[in-house]
Amino acid sequence: MSAADGLLPELAALTEHHRERCQPYARILDALGVPREFSDVEELPWLPVRMFKTHELRSVPDDEVFKVLTSSGTTGGGASRIYLDKDAAAAQTRHLGATLRAVLGPKRLPMLMVDTVGIIKNRREFSARGAGVLGMATFGRDHTYLLDEHDEPDVGALRNFLARHGGAPFLIFGFTFMVWQYLYEVAREHSLDLSNGILIHSGGWKKLADRAVDNEEFRRRFRADTGLARVHNYYGMIEQIGTVFLEGPSGDGLYCPDFADVVIRDPETWARQPIGVPGVIQVMSTLPRSYPGHVLLTEDLGVLHGVDDGDWPGKRFSVLGRLPRAEVRGCSDTFAARGAAA
Amino acid sequence: MRQLFPTGPETDARHILAELTADPDDGPLVCGDERVIDFLTRFARKLLAPGTARAYPELASLGFFLRKGEIGKALRSVHTTDGVFRFPRGLAFHVPPANVDTIFVYSWALSALAGNRNVVRVSPRTAGAGQAVLDALNEIDVHPAIAQTQRMVGYQRDDEATAALSAACDLRVLWGGDRAIAALRRHPLAPHARELTFPDRASFAAISLPGWRKASQTERREAVRGFYNDAYWFDQAACASPRAVFWIGEPAEAPGAQREFRALLREVLDEQRYVTDPAMAVQQRVAGYGMAADGLASGLGFDAGVATIQLAEPGAVPREWLAAGTFAHATLRTLPELAKIVRRKDQTLTQFGFTDDELARFVRATGGSGVDRIVSFGSALTFSPVWDGYDLLHEFTRLVTVRST
Repeated sequence: MSAADGLLPELAALTEHHRERCQPYARILDALGVPREFSDVEELPWLPVRMFKTHELRSVPDDEVFKVLTSSGTTGGGASRIYLDKDAAAAQTRHLGATLRAVLGPKRLPMLMVDTVGIIKNRREFSARGAGVLGMATFGRDHTYLLDEHDEPDVGALRNFLARHGGAPFLIFGFTFMVWQYLYEVAREHSLDLSNGILIHSGGWKKLADRAVDNEEFRRRFRADTGLARVHNYYGMIEQIGTVFLEGPSGDGLYCPDFADVVIRDPETWARQPIGVPGVIQVMSTLPRSYPGHVLLTEDLGVLHGVDDGDWPGKRFSVLGRLPRAEVRGCSDTFAARGAAA
Repeated sequence: MRQLFPTGPETDARHILAELTADPDDGPLVCGDERVIDFLTRFARKLLAPGTARAYPELASLGFFLRKGEIGKALRSVHTTDGVFRFPRGLAFHVPPANVDTIFVYSWALSALAGNRNVVRVSPRTAGAGQAVLDALNEIDVHPAIAQTQRMVGYQRDDEATAALSAACDLRVLWGGDRAIAALRRHPLAPHARELTFPDRASFAAISLPGWRKASQTERREAVRGFYNDAYWFDQAACASPRAVFWIGEPAEAPGAQREFRALLREVLDEQRYVTDPAMAVQQRVAGYGMAADGLASGLGFDAGVATIQLAEPGAVPREWLAAGTFAHATLRTLPELAKIVRRKDQTLTQFGFTDDELARFVRATGGSGVDRIVSFGSALTFSPVWDGYDLLHEFTRLVTVRST
């Protein structure tokens, strides 16, 4: 029995939990005629992730909402709103920590942030990037921010950090394109040694595509030019906060933590795609209890590479990019909002 | 300001207006002017050329609309009696929408036929069929009076140009989203000038259950083909594309008929080799799930390329675009019950299986509260000189009456 099957009872119970507590969710499931019992995780009803942008979906009463997370609305339709109660907020930190300990070890490491301290100081303009940085900061100590207030790399600060901490394992965190643009290029230029670093990064490859840098090239050049060999990309989204799919040590794909699972679906039939065939990524996690985000259809394309055949046990997969936006012809304002018209 | 037709050097609103205001050497245009008719029929031939018509089927429809016979028919509808003279309004300023490439050509062509001088602001994003229209126009050897009085220009957001053209025109024709129209209306018109707007509209389909029952298998399939054209040609986003299907008759008959309709539509999609874009498939789900979450839908069904939403009650009919291939369904006992649901925003009712009497009874029941036109399945997107309830040639002209006694 794979880990995924092991999650079925818990995910099915969560479906029932949200069905009882979140009326809009219950209405969707009723309209779809979703049964009360499931024989496979694949049968669980998924929500398009964009539903959190268009609707208020929560399974806790108003007075128990402890924190509302909002994402930047990059795909139109505004920002996602994710409602957490106290338990959910604590659980997401705990589970994220457990996932990261697999690569960071039990102790908090000195941490280099490939970002500016301004990103978390300016609370009024708190962004998804800021939330990511702040969320990750918990897992390190003695934080150094690589970028100064003008978003320029501070080579002196980087040298100081390496002088103090570079001789033992340290943690590096940042968004993929910033890690490349600021850390890689600066470290190479100044011949800095990052060989004790463990890099955790995320954010996608779109901005690096025009530099012809993909995951393989990223890893290869970091290793060759800075000595940094422990590199873990991860995939995660605010709508499943606390759940990250972490890349294996050799870069052979993203892996599910033991409380999460992934299915790749055919966008035409929505059937499960076999290994090697790209499709739309569906993510499942037992974490979301305060909002019905436990089974989500993302707007990302991905492909499953294998099961129990890589660095770690379980499924391994890659994210291939965003679903291309649908271009629509027509005469209404709708399309202006979708970036296609007047 | 770029001159797209006739092509010319970069210019500005002031120059365009000065050139438009001067009378052509061989006299000003009149309503039904031979110079315009000749120009439009040559334009029609270009649009009907096999290459163009194949690449852009909507341009072939436009070409048919502008054939000499059709033009003659339109002109006969504005024939005046003794003592009544029909004149052009003067200068018309058209602002078409960005995304429906060609619909503006109809109103511009009718305005030209009415004898107006026209300046059309073509969207800077025009491509495809819209560009093909401009290319066709520029390939015609144009009479100087046409080149002087019929102008297509392009400019980026420029309030000054829009304000100048608005202040100078006798008639302003605005197409597009409600927001776009509200923004353009900030620019005042001259006191005597008038405006015609073609804002966002919503359209539906109605199927008579007795009519469906009586129809042969071939007739049903043909109807669904027509429905496919109405709905899918512009990703269901044209104002006349049906967003909902009302089944009219005995409620017990509706589910079976609807199942058959859905299966036929699937077959037509295969026959047309319709490919659902993955992002559009997700959009269908977001739209359908959203209606269910809001309590507006009681049932959802998804086939490849077709999303079926059962409305919780017929009044919950969607008037906004949801996604290509997304249809809300509801059942009503009689067509006059639909009259209570329609609103001013509702434009086209495409129908299958009703008699003229039934349709007339429905229209009387609306009392003009909604729906501008009823057409059969397959004709939703066919332009007519009466559009959105306006008889365009009448709107584009004015009358002078003479009585000696």
